Amino acid sequence: MKRTIVPLGPFHPLLEEAEHFQLYVEGETVVDIDMRIGYMHRGIEKMSQYKTFDQVPFTVERICGICSTSHPIAYVNAVEDLAGIEIPERAKYIRNIVAELERLHSHMLWVGLAGHFIGYDTVFMWAWKYREPILDIFELISGNRNHYAMMKPGGVRRDIKEEDFPAIISMLDTLAKGNELFTGAVVDDPVIHARTKGVGILSKEDAISYGTVGPTVRGSDISDDIRTDDPYAGYDLVDWDVITYEGGDVFAKAAVRLLENFESIKIIRQSLEKMPPGPIETEVREIPPGEGVGHAEAPRGEVFHYVRSDGSACPVRHKIRAPSFVNIPSFKATCIGETIADVALITASVDPCYCCTERMAVVDRQTEDVLMSGEELVRMSREKTKEIKEGLGQETPIDKLARKLQRGEL
Amino acid sequence: MSGSVALTAVKESMPAKILEIVERSPARAYVYIAPEEIVAASRFMFEECGVRLATVSGVDTRSGIELVYHWMSAKDHQFIMIKTKVKKPFPEIDSVGSFLPAAVWIEREIHDILGVVFRGHPDFRKLILSDDWPEGIHPYKRGVRFGEFKA
Repeated sequence: MKRTIVPLGPFHPLLEEAEHFQLYVEGETVVDIDMRIGYMHRGIEKMSQYKTFDQVPFTVERICGICSTSHPIAYVNAVEDLAGIEIPERAKYIRNIVAELERLHSHMLWVGLAGHFIGYDTVFMWAWKYREPILDIFELISGNRNHYAMMKPGGVRRDIKEEDFPAIISMLDTLAKGNELFTGAVVDDPVIHARTKGVGILSKEDAISYGTVGPTVRGSDISDDIRTDDPYAGYDLVDWDVITYEGGDVFAKAAVRLLENFESIKIIRQSLEKMPPGPIETEVREIPPGEGVGHAEAPRGEVFHYVRSDGSACPVRHKIRAPSFVNIPSFKATCIGETIADVALITASVDPCYCCTERMAVVDRQTEDVLMSGEELVRMSREKTKEIKEGLGQETPIDKLARKLQRGEL
Repeated sequence: MSGSVALTAVKESMPAKILEIVERSPARAYVYIAPEEIVAASRFMFEECGVRLATVSGVDTRSGIELVYHWMSAKDHQFIMIKTKVKKPFPEIDSVGSFLPAAVWIEREIHDILGVVFRGHPDFRKLILSDDWPEGIHPYKRGVRFGEFKA
């Protein structure tokens, strides 16, 4: 059969890692995949060697606009490990709250985009409606919707004021209610089952050998979460559970994210209750020579930082590893044998900061003619859902919910 | 200090000769080995100890390029760093990616930035540098100034 190459990417300069996928397809089936990154390499590791230990959090914060607090947390963990700094208890709880608010807004963003890909625009609009108040809370406590600049070696830069607590709690109440309605509808929806169950399965063995992290590995029923494996901030001071789900398919990864939202809400509520008064930072006089390792559980998985100091004001080496760097290679295990219509969804299920599908195109290998644009691929995916819906011949739970919402019954 | 199953196994039956072990804290241990034994040691870590390779860091020092293999043991709540040093000016080491997919990309990256050659690597193309990047220039080496090379 004639082989065609389908390139996906390179992609949006605003996003974490630029990547370029080439899908080798025979007919509709993907037979091989090749990935290339580095299109947007900004040399942040090298840049760190020219910044002081206090300045680095601002640059690493800008590695990603979505998980913009995970990198600073991993970095300060590394520096605190290097210098043996113990942070005050209030700072631990503040780190908890900021990191979990970020997880909530990132997961809601993903749910919306996944809904758009499979042709449920209600899901898209709805998830983003609930995401917006989280960003407002960020603006309230840090002055900015993202890039909060809350972390510094030795503690946090800004306190969360008691007078802001009611606003945070009322936002959490609304979000919890929305997430519950939402999770119920997704779990019961036969169309979502048809599109995501058994699609893009990442087996346990592959998940381990590729070293995948975050919801990607937890969707393969492996309990791997840095928040309990190597507790940082104040995660050992609050009560919550690691979410895992069986199956390794797109559905499992979606379920992990939706259920994790409840845990994040739990963590924030407890942190607000338990937060003691007191200082928010310890003074750091100097960073001694040595090396430190720090990591943090970002919404997409483990963010890893390694810092080495020679006793001067700047790090001599700063190694950064983002979660997508280990999650993306696992596409070799998940995409092969699937159809093109599902590939957009499978790659999105890892949440690789990869949502700009207008950069996808299908190209004929011999003539290099563009056969299909990225929009076409999303349209194919959406059409597949429509066909399944029509075949079903009845209203799905999500449509039902959408109708109720429109009428203002909820 | 060590209630760690993985670290105890490393001390007792690591197939490579351990030059030094430093336990900086209950959660961080550094194990120094010779570069020739990296594949045997990594196989032992992955297959026998069942720990995850988080990543590999390369550091250019005066006496050679240090490679730090960060193994995360979730059960023991501990990071075990396997450290080794390869000689300049032509650093070479056996590839861990030859049997472990988790190491494939990071070894390609270290080759790009520091020029370490990984023998037996399954797919040794450039990863983060562009295809027309000049041969033999590795941007994260000592003495390469920031902004010296323009695309």
